[in-house]
Amino acid sequence: MEFKLEAHRIVSISLGKIYSARGQRGGLKLHKNLLVSLVLRSARQVYLSEPGCPPEPPPAAAGPPEEEPPPRTAAWAAEEPPPPPQDEAGRDCQGPRPRRCCCGESRGGCAGAPPPPHCPRKRSAGERGQTGSPVKKPRREEEEPPPPPPPSPPGEQEDMETGNVASLISIFGSSFSGLLSKEPKGRRRPPLDGGEAAAGTAPAEAAAEPGQICCDEPVLRTLNPWSTAIVAF
Amino acid sequence: VFPAGFGSLMQDVLWCFSQVKGTIDSGVTEADIISTVEFNHTGELLATGDKGGRVVIFQREQESKNQPHRRGEYNVYSTFQSHEPEFDYLKSLEIEEKINKIRWLPQQNAAYFLLSTNDKTVKLWKVSERDKRPEGYNLKDEEGRLRDPSMITVLRVPVLRPMDLMVEATPRRVFANAHTYHINSISVNSDYETYMSADDLRINLWNFEITNQSFSILCIMQMLCPRSFLWCQDRVARHWPEIRELQPQLTLGLVLSSCTVFEEPEDPSNRSFFSEIISSISDVKFSHSGRYIMTRDYLTVKVWDLNMENRPIETYQVHDYLRSKLCSLYENDCIFDKFECVWNGSDSVIMTGSYNNFFRMFDRSTKRDVTLEASRESSKPRAVLKPRRVCLGGKRRKDEISVDSLDFSKKILHTAWHPSENIIAVAATNNLYIFQDKVN
Repeated sequence: MEFKLEAHRIVSISLGKIYSARGQRGGLKLHKNLLVSLVLRSARQVYLSEPGCPPEPPPAAAGPPEEEPPPRTAAWAAEEPPPPPQDEAGRDCQGPRPRRCCCGESRGGCAGAPPPPHCPRKRSAGERGQTGSPVKKPRREEEEPPPPPPPSPPGEQEDMETGNVASLISIFGSSFSGLLSKEPKGRRRPPLDGGEAAAGTAPAEAAAEPGQICCDEPVLRTLNPWSTAIVAF
Repeated sequence: VFPAGFGSLMQDVLWCFSQVKGTIDSGVTEADIISTVEFNHTGELLATGDKGGRVVIFQREQESKNQPHRRGEYNVYSTFQSHEPEFDYLKSLEIEEKINKIRWLPQQNAAYFLLSTNDKTVKLWKVSERDKRPEGYNLKDEEGRLRDPSMITVLRVPVLRPMDLMVEATPRRVFANAHTYHINSISVNSDYETYMSADDLRINLWNFEITNQSFSILCIMQMLCPRSFLWCQDRVARHWPEIRELQPQLTLGLVLSSCTVFEEPEDPSNRSFFSEIISSISDVKFSHSGRYIMTRDYLTVKVWDLNMENRPIETYQVHDYLRSKLCSLYENDCIFDKFECVWNGSDSVIMTGSYNNFFRMFDRSTKRDVTLEASRESSKPRAVLKPRRVCLGGKRRKDEISVDSLDFSKKILHTAWHPSENIIAVAATNNLYIFQDKVN
C-alpha cells in the first residue's frame, strides 16, 4: 500500500511538473519532460498494479474539482493493451512490476469483475485513438511522428511505445503551443468549471493542431483530479 | 622538475584559495548566475558565461618576480553581451539569453576567437586588442565630427598613436535557426574549420565560414530505449576532437555506422522510479590523451575506455548519500541538475561538483578522493582548503555536515581545470572561485 501512496505522490508531482513546464521561460525542455513522462508512466503502472485500488484518489494539490467521469480515467488506465509475455522482458524502461489490470486479470478488459470506477479497461489506447477524437493530424514538421496505430496485436507494443514517445516529443517540442489554439500564450484558460465545460470540447477543437490528439493519449489521461488540470491547459 | 599538474598525485596537492569574482551580496540576481566556465587552450584566458547572456573573459597576469606567491592572477580582460533575449513569435516562446556553452578556438593570430551559444543561436566572437589609434584624419576632427571639405587646405597622412589598451569583442558569425530544441553543447572539430552543435534530438555540423547552412549529421526520431538513446546522442555530441576526415557531404548513414553506444547494464537491485533520470548523462569529456571518455550522471562519474563499450573502467561515487533522497530531489527538481566534469591536464585527476558548494576530486591512480568547498569563509588569500566530510548518519563528528543540512540551492555545476597547471575555476551560483595549488 505504501508503494501505492508513493506512486500516487509521484504521479501528482510529475503532472505538476508537466503542467508548470508550459509556462516556463525559454520554452519547454524536451529532455527533462521526457524523463518526467517516463517517471509518470512508471508510477502510474505501479499505482495501477498494486492491489486494492482506492475508490477515489485523494484530491490533488492542484485542486481542480473532481468531475471527470470515470470512463475518462478508465481510458487512461487502459493506455496500452495488456502486455504479451515477450514484451515484459524488453521493458526495462517501465516500472518494476508487470502490468496487469488491478483486478488481477492479465488480459483484456475487466468486464466480468466488478471493478472500482477508474480501473476497468474499457478501451484500448489504439481504439480510443479512433473513437471520439480524430487521430489524424496535419504534419507540420519533419520530425512529427505518424499518429498512433490502430488497435495493435501484442507484437506491435513496441511500436506503440515508440509512437507514444514520439508523440510526447511532438507535444513537448511545440511547448504545448498547439493546446492554446484559440488563445495567445499567457492567457489562462477560463476558471476550473469553465475549464470543465471546455474540457469536453478541447480535444475536438484542438484536433486541428498537431500534437493535440497526443495530449489525450498516455501522459495526460490520469486520475480524476488532474485530468481536468491538464486539459485545462 | 616537471610542470605542476603533470603526474602530481592528489595527495601532494594542497589547494588554496586564490581569487573570487562576483558580488558578495546575499541576494543573487538571476542574470549573474554563471552558466559556463572554460579555459582557453593555453590557460591564459578564462571565460565565463552567465544567465544574462554576458561573457566575461579573465586574463592571467604575467607572473611577477616581485610577488612570486601571486602566481598569475586572473583579471577581467573583456566583458560583452553575447546574446540577448529573443521572442519566437511562431511558438509564442521567449528564447533565453543564457549562455549554455563557450568553446575557445585555438589562437592563430593576435586575436582570440570563441564560440558562445544560447538555446538557439551560436555566435563566433573575435576578441582583439587595440592599443593604437589613428590620428590626423583629414575629413574628421579629433572628436570625429566631419569637417567642412571646403575648409581643408592641406592634406596629411594619418598616423597611429599609442592609446590605452582597449579590448574589443565583435561578433564575426551568427549561426541561427538550425535547432528546434535547446542547444546543449558545441564542439570544435580538430580541423578548426568545422564544429558541431547539438540539441536533444539533432546534431548539426557547421563550417565556420557558412552561416546560412548546416548539415544535420544525426537526427534521432525514434527512441530505441531511453537510456541507450541518451548515451549515443550525448556521446557523439559533446566532444568529437578525433574527427579528422569529416567531409561536408557526410550522410546520416555514414555517421550512424561509426557510432558506438557505450552502455552499462542496469543494476536491477537499484531499480527505482528515478533510474532513468539518475542514469541520464549530464556531461561527457574526452581525456586529453583521447583514450578515455568521462561521463557524469547524477550520482557518479565514470571513466570509459574507448575500446570497451560494455562497461566503464572506473566508477566514482560523487554523493551516493543522495540515493535515498531521490524522491525529494525529484520534487524540488534537483534531480535534473546537470553537473559537469573535468580532467586535469595529465588525466590523472578528475573533478566534478556537488551540492552545498562542494566539489569533489578523484585521483585515478591512488583512488583517493577529496571533497572541498567553495565558500566565502575559506576565502582568505592563499588559505588552504580544508577537506569536507558529509556525515551519513549516526553520530556526526565535528566538522562533518549531515546530509539533511546540505544546501541544495548551492550547487556547483560548472568547473574548469587549467590545461597544464593546478589551477581550477569553480562556479558557485554567481561567484567564480579560482583555486591554485600551494606554492612553497
